Amino acid sequence: MSVHAKRTWTGAVRDRAVSALPPEKLLADKQPSYVASWIYVFGVLSLSSLAVIILSGSILALKGPGWWHFTGVGHFFNSIHLWSVELFFFFMVIHLWGKYWMAAWRGGRARVWITGAVTFLVAIPCALTGYVSQQNFDSQWISTQAKDAINASGLGAFFNLLNFGQMYSYHVLLLPAAVVALVIAHVLLVRNHGVVPPFRLADKLPAVAEPATVDGGAAGPEASS
Amino acid sequence: MAAIFNLNHHASYVHWHFIQLSVSNVIVIVLMLIVFAAAIFLPFPHHRDSEELS
Repeated sequence: MSVHAKRTWTGAVRDRAVSALPPEKLLADKQPSYVASWIYVFGVLSLSSLAVIILSGSILALKGPGWWHFTGVGHFFNSIHLWSVELFFFFMVIHLWGKYWMAAWRGGRARVWITGAVTFLVAIPCALTGYVSQQNFDSQWISTQAKDAINASGLGAFFNLLNFGQMYSYHVLLLPAAVVALVIAHVLLVRNHGVVPPFRLADKLPAVAEPATVDGGAAGPEASS
Repeated sequence: MAAIFNLNHHASYVHWHFIQLSVSNVIVIVLMLIVFAAAIFLPFPHHRDSEELS
């Protein structure tokens, strides 16, 4: 038996993954003390909303428009899907505000910030294609109005809002897959780099001249205690 | 929602110079600002073992 293990691509990927995300980082059971603030809760609230969106959307796709338009349970799941999207954006915007004001791209976290920002941008058309996938007069009105704006912007060369099959495919497959993939990358990057610490208060306070002591030296911590 | 609010009318808008927002959107934006401020200023509940946090 050779002492030199044969180098394989699976082994290389495993070594790199374990090196980047060792188990104690991937599934951390302790967080820094500064995470004990309500502003750090909105990331996981966004994730929870996304889980409800995917679950309720899967049930809607399974049952079809006849069910979500004409049955009581269908109306209920239709509303769950709508309001979980409303909450997803509500929580995600507050998460974005919080991370913007604490400059969450500090400390080599640029990719964490970028994946979060791109997720927000991709989630917008993901939600808007839902409006034109309802299969009712509302979706007809929205798609005929929106297509003029999209055509005026030039994006109409790539897709057609009046093409229901195309919009429905975007809404239930392509865009949700992109959002989920980006969110997974975002969370793994957060695990890898850790939660961004708050600004050090000492860096923000104006410099204050230290009071002189009797012997002319500056008063240090020992002098004041 | 329709049972609580009468939705059987045209949407109301807030119009200020070139800014035009529906009242419902204004309510959501104000709610987000309130929740954001509350998240900053409200104390976070601590458990007894919170000292274990590094």
